[in-house]
Formats: sequence, structure tokens, C-alpha cells
Amino acid sequence: MNLLFFSGMMLIPVAAAVAMFFLRERWLLNRVFTAALAATLLCTLALAACPDRLVLDWDFPGLGVSLRFGFDGMGRFFGLLFGVIFLLSGIFSLEYMDHDHAPGRYNAFYLLTLWAMLGLSTAQSLAAYYMCYELMTMLSLPLVLHEATDGAMKAGMKYLGYSLFGASLALFGFFVLGGYSTPETDVTNFTAGGAFSGVTPSPVLLLAAFCLLLGFGGKAGLMPLHYWLPTAHPVAPAPASAVLSATITKAGVLGIIRVIYYVLGPEVLRGTWVQYALLTLALCTVFTGSMLAYKEKLMKRRFAWSTVSQVSYVLFGVFLLTPVALEAALLQVVFHAVCKTALFLTAGAIIHHTGCTYVHQLTGIGRRMPVVMTCYTLSSLSLIGIPPFAGFVSKWGLATGGMGVVPVFGVLGAAVLLVSAILTAGYLLPLTIKGFFYSGEDDTPLHPTWRMLVPLAVLSGALLLLGLFPHGLVQAVHSLPVLG
Amino acid sequence: MTILTLLLILLPMAAGVAVYRMGAGKPAWSVTAAVVVGEFVLSLLLLKRLGSVLELPGVCGLGLNFSCTGLQAWLCILAAFLWLVSGLFSGTYLEQDRKNHRYYLFLLLTEGAIMGVFLSADLFTTLVCFETMSFASWPLVMHRQTPQAIRAANSYLAYAVIGGMVSLMGLFLLWSALGTLRYEELLTAYQSYSGDRSLIFLAGCLALVTFAAKVCMFPLHTWLPGSYAEAPSPATALLSGIITKAGVFGIFGLTAKLFYANLRWGNLILLFGIATALVGGTLALCCTDLKKTIAYSSMSQIGFILVGTGMTALLGEENHMAVWGSVLHLTNHSLIKLVLLLTGGVIVYHLGALDYDTIRGFGRGKPALAFAFAMPALGVMGVPVWNGYISKTLIHESIVEYIEELERAGEAAGLYHAVEWLFLIAGGMTVGYMTKLFLCIFVEKNTNSSIQAKYDAMNGKYAPKLWILLLDGCAALMPVLGLLPHLTQDNIAMLAQDYFTEEVLRLNVHYFSLTNLKGAGISLAIGAVLYLVFVRGVVLTKEGYRNPWPKVLDLEERVYVPLLFRVLPMIGALCARLAGSLFEWCVALCNRILFFRYDRIVHPEEDTYFARYKSDDPGVRGFRAQIAYALALFSGGFVCVVVYLLVSNFIL
Repeated sequence: MNLLFFSGMMLIPVAAAVAMFFLRERWLLNRVFTAALAATLLCTLALAACPDRLVLDWDFPGLGVSLRFGFDGMGRFFGLLFGVIFLLSGIFSLEYMDHDHAPGRYNAFYLLTLWAMLGLSTAQSLAAYYMCYELMTMLSLPLVLHEATDGAMKAGMKYLGYSLFGASLALFGFFVLGGYSTPETDVTNFTAGGAFSGVTPSPVLLLAAFCLLLGFGGKAGLMPLHYWLPTAHPVAPAPASAVLSATITKAGVLGIIRVIYYVLGPEVLRGTWVQYALLTLALCTVFTGSMLAYKEKLMKRRFAWSTVSQVSYVLFGVFLLTPVALEAALLQVVFHAVCKTALFLTAGAIIHHTGCTYVHQLTGIGRRMPVVMTCYTLSSLSLIGIPPFAGFVSKWGLATGGMGVVPVFGVLGAAVLLVSAILTAGYLLPLTIKGFFYSGEDDTPLHPTWRMLVPLAVLSGALLLLGLFPHGLVQAVHSLPVLG
Repeated sequence: MTILTLLLILLPMAAGVAVYRMGAGKPAWSVTAAVVVGEFVLSLLLLKRLGSVLELPGVCGLGLNFSCTGLQAWLCILAAFLWLVSGLFSGTYLEQDRKNHRYYLFLLLTEGAIMGVFLSADLFTTLVCFETMSFASWPLVMHRQTPQAIRAANSYLAYAVIGGMVSLMGLFLLWSALGTLRYEELLTAYQSYSGDRSLIFLAGCLALVTFAAKVCMFPLHTWLPGSYAEAPSPATALLSGIITKAGVFGIFGLTAKLFYANLRWGNLILLFGIATALVGGTLALCCTDLKKTIAYSSMSQIGFILVGTGMTALLGEENHMAVWGSVLHLTNHSLIKLVLLLTGGVIVYHLGALDYDTIRGFGRGKPALAFAFAMPALGVMGVPVWNGYISKTLIHESIVEYIEELERAGEAAGLYHAVEWLFLIAGGMTVGYMTKLFLCIFVEKNTNSSIQAKYDAMNGKYAPKLWILLLDGCAALMPVLGLLPHLTQDNIAMLAQDYFTEEVLRLNVHYFSLTNLKGAGISLAIGAVLYLVFVRGVVLTKEGYRNPWPKVLDLEERVYVPLLFRVLPMIGALCARLAGSLFEWCVALCNRILFFRYDRIVHPEEDTYFARYKSDDPGVRGFRAQIAYALALFSGGFVCVVVYLLVSNFIL
């Protein structure tokens, strides 16, 4: 049964992507695109509901490599998140791309990116993960290149360069870890708790772990490999920026969680220089991202810097290596994905209807698009971490998770998070203030259709609901085996 | 309790959204009025539910907890009463406003949130509701949308955000050190805490910040004049009358539940309180703007409340006098500021301006207005037989009590003698600035006689009946509360004191005894001197009223804004840019080395080729000039590595 769902999940996006190149009618293209996204999400849901863990298991004995696919708790968590975000952002893109020069190509690569990411979330061995990871980079590249401008080309190259550099760092770590495999056990297969518990880490192992984590961290915007985000996000179409920012960065996070909690085991890293170095990098990134977002004038690049900062909240939580912090980090994964999708979609709605890309051009926008800007305001409050919105719940856990457990970094981290929150308010709220309370030159109301409004309303409504009643989600996260 | 609490919090919020959907106009106000009346009735029902609790586990992460002690019920009733009066007053005041539905939306949202603050049973719930309240009241400050209003609102928002974050840090520390944030458990957890006590003290100070900012504790008061002056008057009445009291409630919580009988904490609150009272009093004396004078007066009066709060911590178990004083001064100040600011609102409604030179003489020949202004003014001055006298006397008595206690124990009490005198001087300042304001509006004539004639022509038709009824009705409360303290104020204090102490005690204070009258007499005398010498001599010049306060001493303009919005971001951005672009510099360096003496990389105009980097012709040679080719090579290399590993694995 689950093989059926698995193949559905893997084949539908590919088949639909191929069809995208041949469908000429715009309405048919849109229908097939949406239907494929929805069907993929349904298959993911069905597979997530199946109890069995492994679906595919191809071992290559002698090679030291095994490709394994299937859903465990962590994979389900990320897979469903990816599916939902892609669906909502996809619905939005129906209107956003309606005057586009090559919607088929865009839709096709959008579906293929989803495909690679679902593969990523089902991967159950490091080799399978790495394969899907590279696939994801390659298949999402055309989304960055889509506008085909000079800037887009440069940004695409930068995206590719950073991704490949990060991946090759990770590959080095992978090779070293693979060396610890014995004929009986393959240590690079994911098992909750990791296969290295009890091993006294040698310097080489620590270096390998550092490279592996830093490499995957590059995708998550961890300094120093963060620069592709502010370059690639502004040039991609808004729904693509949304998924780049909300989900592709989370692929890096998933990689890091897999390495720490499913391959190495947190005990190997606890208290080593690797943990402290990564914590330092994460905190630096949190501050740098917020600070540069505060100084940035181009709206989408501001949101991209914000992503740099916010995803490092997650990484900070993961690197603290405490259950409370990991739990909060996973909540932050969801909340940030929802928030940032909403923000980029707002940017998309504004760009699509007014053509304005700079923050100072948006005076009075709230009167022209009240619903969109209300959604923006709700998401902003959540991203800042104002109660009772969702961001507050995860921030509470992140800040208290390390206190009293990890020396220095627990308290320092909380302080950095709060400074960053103040900066977040500084770069998000002026848009609301200028949008609603100042009058601009043009006051004619704009009318985005339901395709834009429904995803935005769903996302920002979810933030308020999840903020008020996070219990269900917290329970779901809490039941993951690594948090036991 | 469950239904009642949820109704109190959610009913106004839901109604607010409904009102907003109705659009601007009269019906929006009618619904608002119905809601505030209903809310007042509901709040009275709290008296039947004293001692009950409501727990909502999991909501907002940590779970929200509500309880209903006497103090909390009383604050809710007070809040609902203020909302009732202000809501009814708003109808005519905002009749012409095209956006009054937005005002009502945020008015009701704020009411729901403040109920949450007053009913909260743990610090977490307090902070959650407090932040919601700050954000919901922010559009009220912004409402008029003039540049000054926006500036004031920005300042208000900055305090809400930054203060909120600093307090959150305090809560993080408390939570990780004590493991609980419930008011009822805090003290036990603190007493059994084995680690460093100064960490808890630091955490308490951090948690204090957002509350201190809301009550305008010096030096966090700089948002005050702008916000009070720019918000519509009914909203200002709420800001001053009760929203500040939400901050006081937070400070009460920290003082009574965490730092119970903690001398260090008591002294901290006491000293900041007396500084706030003096600075507020001085600024109010200098001020020449109606609403700003009342705003600084609020600051000064809250200084008195803080002095009382500090005394509750210093006096420990014997703190009944201080508790009574703080709670009653809070109550009296709420009522006084409600009436004063709404009366001021009548003037603003007609004149649109607030400076003394314009409003001078407006109140001549308007007895109803004069009554509405004089009663609260006399109350706040602390003149015997008006309500403020009772509460100020209690606070004063508590200081005297502490001095006696110290002297009995043979300890130095010089500091507290100074505090006592400063307290009396601050009381004198109140007398000074209130006299100044009253005489300016109701006795003196405007320097421009044609304007004075215009003002006189308004007599008898300057306010609708409802306004006069509301204003004079509330104003009449002041002498009633002051004349019958044992019947009225004592009972309020009896109801509210359970928050601070286990032992419920009925004090028997002879409010009108000679010693107590002496304190008021000293304050009145100081006030008379201050008015005659300072106001008549310095503030009132031949050209009219002039503010002698030097502009250089504006903390916000001179220190906070440049520091927070220029210096710190500049340093931060510099560091961030350096750190952020480090890797980019490395990449640029590598590029230089790799492409040393090489043709410049070409980017084509069209997407014909996948990222060509040389200006060659298309064709086979063209393919080699593409990134795609390089990628293919990379893949080839990758395959080779895999094959090599495979082979080496087999051989070894």
C-alpha cells in the first residue's frame, strides 16, 4: 500500500512537470498544475498515515552506500510542511504568473523542485539524502534563472556556486563518516539517536562533522555561506522566492538534524569545539541578518536577509543539543516557513499589482490593498515574536532551551534573539505604518483575486491559530523519537 | 469564572471586529456603547467570583492562567467604568471622524486585552496580555494621522517593542531559574532558590522595564507627552487613567509576589518613584500645554503610587498602610484623570489647540465645566475632604511609619526623612501646576479680547447634555469619596488588600487628625509658594505663558533617538557588513586569482545559452564556453571519484 502512495508522490510531480512543457492552453496548464500539487500533497498525507517506515531499500554492499527511502517522524514533519507550502504558494502563482513569458517552464521546475524535496524528506540514508539534495539544487536553479535578466543569471550562478561549495564540504564529511562503517552496519543510514554513541570523537571525525554541518548550513543561510540568499531571492518570481526561502532553506536544516540526531548522535558533539563554533556562527548570523535587513531598502532583499536571520534561530536551537531547544527549533521551522511564505507572497501581490519593489514606494499601500496588508501585519507580528502569535511560542522555547544547560551561549543566545526581534520590528513594522497611516500619491483600490488572497489569509490565519493553540503541533513534535 | 473571564476578554474583541465591519458612523458607536455597558455589568459580576481561577493549559505555548482576587476584580471594575465613560463620551467627540470605526475597533481590542492583564495569574499571562494591550492601543495614539501623531505613535510603539523584549529577557531568566512564573508560587520558589540571588534581582529589573515604561517611570517617560497630546481625548483619558495602571499592576505583581519584603527591591522602586514624582512635577510646572500638563501630572502621581509600592516592600508584614495608600491612590488617580482629560477634551473639541495662550479664559462663565475641572483638580492636589487627600495621607503615613520603625531599631533613617520631604515637595508641585491650569482656563481673561468674546458667546451651548452629565457625575465622586472615606475608600482598600498580604486588616486611620492635616498643609503651602514665585515669576511673562524648560534637556531628542536610531545601528551595520561579506571577499579574491590575465566573463543579453562565460561563437566551441559544460565536467569528475571508491573498495 505505502509503495503505491510513495510512487504516487514521486511520479505525479514528474509526470505533471513533463506535461507542463506540452500544454499550450493557459487554463489547462493551471488546472493540471494545481491538481498535481494537490494530488502530491494527498499522496504525502496518505504515506505519512502509513505506519511502516521503509519503502525502498537498495543496498550496495561493498560500495558502502545504501539508498533508503521512507517516512519516519522527522521526514513526515518536513514532507507535509513542504507539500502544504508548495500548494499554497502554487495557488498564488496562478495569478502572479498570468502574464509570464514561460509559465510552463516555471511550473515544471516548480513541481520538480517539490519532487526533489519530497525525496529529501523521505531519504533514510545519507547517500539518498545527498542525492536528493543535489537534485534539489539543480532543479530549483531554473526558478532563480526564470526572469532571464542579467541579474537573474548572476544570481543563479551565485546560488549554484554556494550550493555546490556547501555540498562538496558536506561530501567530504560524508566520505569520512562512511569510513566508520563496518560490513554489518552502515553508519550513514539514519537511525534515531545515531550510530556513533559511545565513540570518543577523534579530531578528524569532529572536523568531518563540522564540514558536514557547515555544508548543509550553507543551504540554511548559515554564515559564511549565506550570501546567495539576498542575491537569489530578489530576482526570482515571488512565489519561487517564497518556496526558496520557506522550504529550501529548511532542507539544509533537515540535513543538519539528520546528521546530528540520526547519524552522529548529539553526545558526540556536546561540549566540543564544533558545537561552540557552530553556535557562534549561528548567533552571528542571527544578528547580521537582522541588522542588514534593517538597513536594506529593496523589499524582497530585506525579506531575504530576514530569512538569513530567522533560519539561524532554528540552527541555534538545533546546535544547543537540548530536547527543549530542538522542539522549539522544529516549531520555528514551521512558523518561519508559514510567516516567510506569507511575507514573500505579500511582496508578490504588491509587485504584481503596482510594480513597486522598494520599501519607500509603498506609502499608502494599506489603503489600496487592505486585506493583503492586514495579512502582512499579522505575519510580521508573528515573525517579531509578539504574543499571541506563533513566533512567540517558538522564541520562548529557543531562548529558554539553552539556559542553565549550555554555558554562556544559553543566556547570550536569548539576548541576541531579543536584539534581533527588536530589529525585526524595525524592518517589518514601518511597512505597516507607512502602508496604513500615510497617504500615498495614488489611492485607487487594487483588487487581487482569490488566488492571491486565499493563500495569504490561510497562512496568516494559521499563524494566529497556531500561536493561540500550539498544543497539537507541540504534541506532534514532542512525539518524535529523538526528543524522547 | 470560565465563561465570565472569557466573556470579559473576548466579548469586546469580537464586538470590535464586528463594529469595524459596520463602517464609520453612528451605529458603530451605538454598538460600542452597548458593549462597554455590558462589560461594566460583567465586571461587577466578578465580585461574586472572588478567589476563583481559570487555567487554559497550552494556549500561547506555556498556557494562560487567570485568577480573580479582590485587587484584580477591583481593577477590572475600574477599567470597565473608565471604558464606559470614555466610550459614551466618544460618540459626539468622534462624530465627524471618517475613521471612527477604526477607533472603536482598537478601543474595544484594548479593553479586552486590559481585562486579560488585570485577571492574569502568572507573569507570562500578564506579559502576553500586556503586549497585546500595547499593540492594540497604539493605533489609538496614531488615530489622527497628523505628522506629530505619527511621531508620537512611533515613540509609543518603540517603547512597547523594546520594553516588551527586555521584559521578555527577564521572564526567560526567571523561568529558567525558578521554573515557575505563577504569582502564587514565585515567592516560595524564590525562597528555596539556591543559586545567585542577584541573578533573580537582575531578572526582576529586566521584567520591570516594560511596566516601568508604561507607567512613565523616570527615565522611561519620554513617550508620554507626545502620546497623550496627540491621541483623541477620550483615548488619552484611558491611557492616563487605566492603561498606565496595567503597568502598575505588573509592578504590584513583582513587588508583592516575587520580592515580598525585599529591601533592595523596595528601595529601588521607592527611589525611582520619588524621582518620577519630582521630575513629573517639575515638567508639569514648566509646561504650557493643557494635555501635556495633565500628562506630566499623571507621571508625577504615578510616582506617588510607586513610592507607596516601594514602601509595601520595605515595610514587609506591616505594610497595610502602604498597601492601602497605593491601591487607593491608584483608584483616585484613575477617576481624577478620567474627568480632567475629558474636560480637557471639551476644550480641545472646540479649539483644536492646547497651548495656554489659546485656551486662556475659555472656561469663564461655564460653571458646569468649572465644576468638572475643579473637583478632580482639588482631588489631585490632596486638599482635605477631596479624595486624593486620603490616599496621599496614607502613603505619607507609611513613610513616617517606616522611619519610626527604623529609629526604634536604632538604624539611620536620614534617607527616608529626605524621601518624606521630597514627597511633600512633590505634593506641593501638584498644587502649583493644578492652580496654574485652573486659573488659566477658568479665571484669567484671554489677552486677545475678541477671542475672549468668542469664548463667552459659547456659554451654555458648548457641550451636549450627555457630556455634562458624564463629567459632572464623575466629578461629584471626588468629594463624596473624600468626605466619606470610611464608608467608601476603606471598603475598596479592604477588598483589594488581599493581593499583598495574607492578613486582611481594617485600619482605623483618623484621616482628619491634626498630624495628617499638617502634611497636607505643608504641601499646600509649598504649592502656594511655587505658584506665586515660580509660575507667576518665570512661566507667566508679559507675552503670555512661556515654557522655561530648556530644550537641551529633552532626553528623547538628545539621547534616545540619536543613540537608538543612529549610533547603534551604524555600529551594528558596520560590523554586520564586515562579517557578512567576508566570504564574498574571499570569492572575489579567488576569482581574481583564477581569471588572472583572462578575458572578462561575458553575460549574454538573451537566455540563448545556459550562462555563457566567453564571447565565442555558438557551436561545439560555444558549448565549451558554457557553465553547463563546466557542470558536465564536474559531474564527470564526480562519477570518477565514485568509481575510484568502488574499485578501491573491491581491491582492499
